[in-house]
Amino acid sequence: MKKLVGQVTPEEKNEIQQLFERRNGLNELAKILTADNNELYEKLVKDMGETGSKFQGWWDRMSAKYKWESTENGNWEINFDTCEIFLNF
Amino acid sequence: MLQYLVILLDDTSVAYCHADNPLKERNLMPIETLKKGILFGMKQNLMIQYVFPNYALPEEYASVIESIDNVKIYPVGCKPVTGIESENEADVEVANSIPEKVETKNLVLRLTFCEMLIQKDEIAKLFANGRRVNLCITDVEKFTDEQIDAYRQVLDEWSKALLELYKQGQSPQFNLLTDRMMLEKMHNCEAGISNITLAPNGKFYLCPAFYYDERMQVFNQMNHHKPSSDTSVGDLEKGLDIHNLQLLQLDHAPLCRKCDAYHCRRCVWLNRKMTWDINTPSRQQCVMAHLERNASRCLLNDIRNIGEFMPNIEIKEINYLDPFEVRKEF
Amino acid sequence: MDLDTAKLAVDYILSTPDLFTEEEVGWAFIGGEPLLEIDLIDQICDYIKIEMFRLNHRWFNSYLISISTNGINYSDKKVQNFIEKNKKHLSIGITIDGTEKKHDLNRVYKFTEKGSYKDVVKNIPLWQEQFPDSSTKVTVSSDDIPYIKESVIHIFELGINSIYINVVFENVWKDGDDIIFEQQLTDLADYIIDNNLYYTKTCSFFDEKIGKPLNNDHNNNWCGSGRMLSIDAAGNFYPCTRFAQYSLRDKETWIIGNVKDGIDKNKLRPFLTLDRTTQSPEECIKCEVASGCAWCQGENFDAAETHTVFQRATAICKMHKARVRANNYYWNKLYRKLELEDLREQYEANKREVKPEIC
Repeated sequence: MKKLVGQVTPEEKNEIQQLFERRNGLNELAKILTADNNELYEKLVKDMGETGSKFQGWWDRMSAKYKWESTENGNWEINFDTCEIFLNF
Repeated sequence: MLQYLVILLDDTSVAYCHADNPLKERNLMPIETLKKGILFGMKQNLMIQYVFPNYALPEEYASVIESIDNVKIYPVGCKPVTGIESENEADVEVANSIPEKVETKNLVLRLTFCEMLIQKDEIAKLFANGRRVNLCITDVEKFTDEQIDAYRQVLDEWSKALLELYKQGQSPQFNLLTDRMMLEKMHNCEAGISNITLAPNGKFYLCPAFYYDERMQVFNQMNHHKPSSDTSVGDLEKGLDIHNLQLLQLDHAPLCRKCDAYHCRRCVWLNRKMTWDINTPSRQQCVMAHLERNASRCLLNDIRNIGEFMPNIEIKEINYLDPFEVRKEF
Repeated sequence: MDLDTAKLAVDYILSTPDLFTEEEVGWAFIGGEPLLEIDLIDQICDYIKIEMFRLNHRWFNSYLISISTNGINYSDKKVQNFIEKNKKHLSIGITIDGTEKKHDLNRVYKFTEKGSYKDVVKNIPLWQEQFPDSSTKVTVSSDDIPYIKESVIHIFELGINSIYINVVFENVWKDGDDIIFEQQLTDLADYIIDNNLYYTKTCSFFDEKIGKPLNNDHNNNWCGSGRMLSIDAAGNFYPCTRFAQYSLRDKETWIIGNVKDGIDKNKLRPFLTLDRTTQSPEECIKCEVASGCAWCQGENFDAAETHTVFQRATAICKMHKARVRANNYYWNKLYRKLELEDLREQYEANKREVKPEIC
């Protein structure tokens, strides 16, 4: 089930979309970078950690700001075209 | 509207603009072609501008040449002898180095950018003798952004020299700095629009440079292996045939139509050579023209500190040297 | 193209931020048939990703890899591995010309001359599963006109919901082509409307925005040439592939640089200053149905009387006008139907937008 529970501003949407894209990029990069390439591999690992934290931080900040409806075991998702937030449960 | 017919009397006629003449072998325009050219000019109501080589033409050419009112463009020190020696204030002498003596009221001085920098003081001395000096830089295509400061500086030095002459009550004319102060709208080369060139082969060209390219089979594009094709725009038999004539006009030049570097040559040959499109100027042409424009603005302001001067002219302060950089707002 | 040339191109592009100022980038691979070189494409894409990351390039956050294919090798293991590896940043388009008969008229194997339709169509379900919103692109030339309606319907029936379709810009049109074209589109309009396909399907021939006069405020160039960079196998740069020698009929190539020397910015200036009115003849500027009438800068250049990109070719004029007439019919018929069913408001609120395909 999916329920519309709120909306963010376009600026806020841009922030999470960029983090989302970066996370995808890092995940795909992880498939080709090996530990042999020491310097880049370390950079990747560090970046994945930082991007993950920023990603979670965005949801924490926004949910605190907008106080979206939530349920146990549910999760929110954003529609990048409309800036709408949905609750999946 | 066409006003001038430039007649290249010989393949080695003197180059008087940006393009060097690479043709070294004499090839005199046949006298019948010359007569037909003059007839064409008369019927089209065009002022004839003869471009002379550095050798004396056969005697029989003199009377034909003088059969119509004309302007003579000739290498410095090679005054054409045609039997009519009256002074024409529009005659032009062309020099490829600082000349020792100039007889006409108009001098075209053709120098490379480096030659110009080296001889800047000698050039400044030419301003004082009451003749118009047209300085033509022959390697515009090599101008780089690293040379902007050097050009700005030399224009500034020349402005100071010109200002001194204005203070003395003289009215020096130097194309790069004084033309823009007098202009309220574009006044460019207008090849193909106000003037057309007749070459010794009886064909018309937008300007002599296009004839040189055709004769030299210039490889006109990067990685090209075929020579440029016929660049003529008609001949004496069929008349003028300029395709895409509209692209030579100011309103069809997106970068130029709102520009106020009114004195710029807007050289269509350089456009074609450097951007490959005849209506689009290169960065080099734009930047140089804007450095001149800005220096003219400063000179105009300095002259006005002496007294009233060209009150109708306003040259605004701008923050770009290349209209391309601000094309979206342009 | 060899990998070293591709790497040089990537290095140049990523290290020249003053020329490539967009926030996002698309890396497109076209052929021949690009999937025949999937190993090379894979290596190039790996290099692109690593270099964007290594250089902290902003495009790492926003890039797309796109491939246009004939679809024959789509289900190959190597291709599928590549898709899996790049799924989040990948767009693949498969070209289908229409019905089996129509498709196999033009698309046959080199030696057997057997049509490729069956081998392509068997891959469509997998493609749609992996790229559910995919569209296909169809180009129509003179001989294709009688097959337009059946081809579009067939592609819809294959489950492809969006079709970008346009007529070629070259002067190939015969007398009467516009009449047949108009009839084909009118018949197609009837089919779409009578079968209520307008809620779920789009064919870019039908677009409400086309067929209106344009004033001088609408002065943008249609074509994207000069705002993209096209690179050939030897590492030469072009403002668009249409300026490569193999695409040109009458003119010599317009190379703007290469991977070793970079871009000659002067050669880009005409492209980046092009506008509609400067290149259009008076009849186009005054045209009552000007909007949506497209042009291709490469064809303009190829067909121009002189060496210029500022002379608009008008070979498609009568075809555009025929399209406008059929398009007007489509929208008048559709809206009348929706009004009678009291569904117009609902339709307008939910209708699928047709984005003009600007190459």
